[in-house]
Amino acid sequence: MKGFLVRDLIRQEWLKSSRSQGFYKNLAVNILLGFFALYMAVMFLFIGFSLDNILEKLDDKLNPTQLFTGAMLYIVLLALAFRFFMQQLNTMNLPPYQVLPVKRNYLVNFLLVKPFFSLANYFHLFITVPFAVQSVSKYYDGGTAFRFVLINIFLVWFNSLMASFLKRKYGSGFSSFLFILVVIAALGALEYFKIFSLYKISLAAFGFVLFDPLGILIPLLAVAVAYALNRLFFRRNYYAERFNSKLKTDRNYNVNFSFLNRFGTIGEIMGLEIKLILRHKRTKSVLYMSAFFLLYGLIFYSNSAYDERQGFLFFVAMFITGLLMLMFGQWVISWDSSHFDGLMTKNISVSTYLKANFYLLIAFNVISFVLTTPYFFFGMKIVYMHLAAFIFNIGVNVYLLLFLSTFNTRRLDLSKTSALNYQGTTYKNFLIVLPIMFLPMIIVGVLSTYFSTAAALWTLTITGLVGTAFHKPIMTLCENQFKRRKYAMAEGFREIE
Amino acid sequence: MIEVTNLQKIYNGVTVLNIPVLTIQEGESFGLVGNNGAGKTTFFRLILDLIEASAGEVVIDDEIVARNEDWKTKVGSFLDEGFLIDFLKPEEYFSFVGKLYGKSEGDINQFLNSIREFFNSEILDTKKLIRDFSKGNQKKIGIAAALLGDPKILILDEPFTALDPSSQIRLKRFLNEMQKTKNITMLISSHDLNHVTEVCKRIVILEKGNVVKDLQTTEDTLKELEAYFAV
Repeated sequence: MKGFLVRDLIRQEWLKSSRSQGFYKNLAVNILLGFFALYMAVMFLFIGFSLDNILEKLDDKLNPTQLFTGAMLYIVLLALAFRFFMQQLNTMNLPPYQVLPVKRNYLVNFLLVKPFFSLANYFHLFITVPFAVQSVSKYYDGGTAFRFVLINIFLVWFNSLMASFLKRKYGSGFSSFLFILVVIAALGALEYFKIFSLYKISLAAFGFVLFDPLGILIPLLAVAVAYALNRLFFRRNYYAERFNSKLKTDRNYNVNFSFLNRFGTIGEIMGLEIKLILRHKRTKSVLYMSAFFLLYGLIFYSNSAYDERQGFLFFVAMFITGLLMLMFGQWVISWDSSHFDGLMTKNISVSTYLKANFYLLIAFNVISFVLTTPYFFFGMKIVYMHLAAFIFNIGVNVYLLLFLSTFNTRRLDLSKTSALNYQGTTYKNFLIVLPIMFLPMIIVGVLSTYFSTAAALWTLTITGLVGTAFHKPIMTLCENQFKRRKYAMAEGFREIE
Repeated sequence: MIEVTNLQKIYNGVTVLNIPVLTIQEGESFGLVGNNGAGKTTFFRLILDLIEASAGEVVIDDEIVARNEDWKTKVGSFLDEGFLIDFLKPEEYFSFVGKLYGKSEGDINQFLNSIREFFNSEILDTKKLIRDFSKGNQKKIGIAAALLGDPKILILDEPFTALDPSSQIRLKRFLNEMQKTKNITMLISSHDLNHVTEVCKRIVILEKGNVVKDLQTTEDTLKELEAYFAV
């Protein structure tokens, strides 16, 4: 009886995704995502095989395995924080099943165990298995290596369960985001100033877990506790409306952007788009993610290996100085898809609508540029690169986005969470991003090789300035394009997936 | 005044709307009835320039609607939820729409006061976002927003469905009053033959994209309509 039920539930979950509209239409994106997964797997394998070597050089006294155990607690906590924001809750549509004679207990167990079968949760094996085989078995024995892999699997299970419990219990609003950010920063600071070392605790605790034959029971116990917590939560909150309640309530709707009123209709529309960003889960999670991406420059600017790769450095400069535009720009226009008909029939002219979006993108660029000014400490080259990138972004890329985004006719559902949400993404999104991101990179790469970096940056700066000088005719071009594509967009946006 | 000439919409070789000629006078209340797929919404979308006509044109006050923007100041419309901005509170939405039509906060408040009865104190001061309202209340918000810009022409697609009985009666009363006092041209589609005959003075039946009947409402109209749709 029960086996038959599980089969049915799994089958219906599969049907839910395969019968959703656009599953096949979106094949191109799925294939691209497949390549992305493959790429990640290769990268992970690479890290897995080189980890031993890297850690070997890092410390004289401790061997790589010990170092790994020292970092373990940090890895677990950071992964938990990451999951807390990014992991989609596995919700099954419970109500239709609740009225059927299926034991509730059974459904809850199904819901909780389901992520254990998700391949994404086993990606870490590409790192841990090579490391275990190469390094752990070298310093210890095969048994320890095997336990090392198992412990990692258990910890991922624990994290997955714990993240969904915390998310259901506390919700992932802005306050929890701040709280976690502060905790992580505090732990990092305490470690840095040698006041309190999580590293030492981790070394001792995970040392025991790994090297004592009975240690493996501890992560197993942790998984059991996390599971029990989830069960307890579902028992306390019997009804679906209650266990998802934290995820729905967003109280902070009293923010007003009255200063935008001065700019007439354009200001009204800009205020509308800002509210749109702040009141949808998907846009909010992209906003949180952007905060992390701002740190992207630290990795490359501080690494002398990239000093001579001007094209790549410029790519990084453009990415972080135009961060908000690049994150949100691909959604320009289509983020209004759910109320596009409304906007098109109200008293808004196309030129006003596009201008509002234009100024919004400019504002995004200015904000990102200002936020990345601390990178100027890395030297004058970075200053020049950021300036050139900024001018190119507002002089060329903004217009390109406005023009090309009219080809995007997929309705965007902003109510679903999460970063790795590709709903509404088509191959067109990739085609739009290609010229914007990679063309300047290639130009700088080529020009700085054959002439000089200065020549490359000047070329882009002047192109950007020319774009700004021709603002009016270019906007007219975008307007005409918009008018041509309006019907196709409106029709596409009406299709609810 | 709305003039339709030779208007056609063809999807994949199937003609979903074909109106050779149709004129709607200023101040007329025009009711559109027809079964599902008759082309009512398609007709309204063509008037609002949301879809492209395969042939022919719609003219409002001597100006072609397609790819034009001047009609937007004259026409208020609500067809479906796609006309609402659902992440706003109703007050914010009304304020947004009001500003687009050059209304001050005072004008907007005055307007909201005037339709307080229709809202039945379920809409304003609730702190809810539009997406959290019931379908019926969303409809009320949409209809109110369509009226906010003092339109000369009002287009509503099935305004009575999803409304509760009291709201249906209030809406009927409200629309009739508007006709008398403001001389608004109204285009209303409905599946409810009773309501549409009570509100509209002219009723057109669409079937498979064609106008099959064009009636001036009299006492017998309801019977005639019922006879037409009887199976």
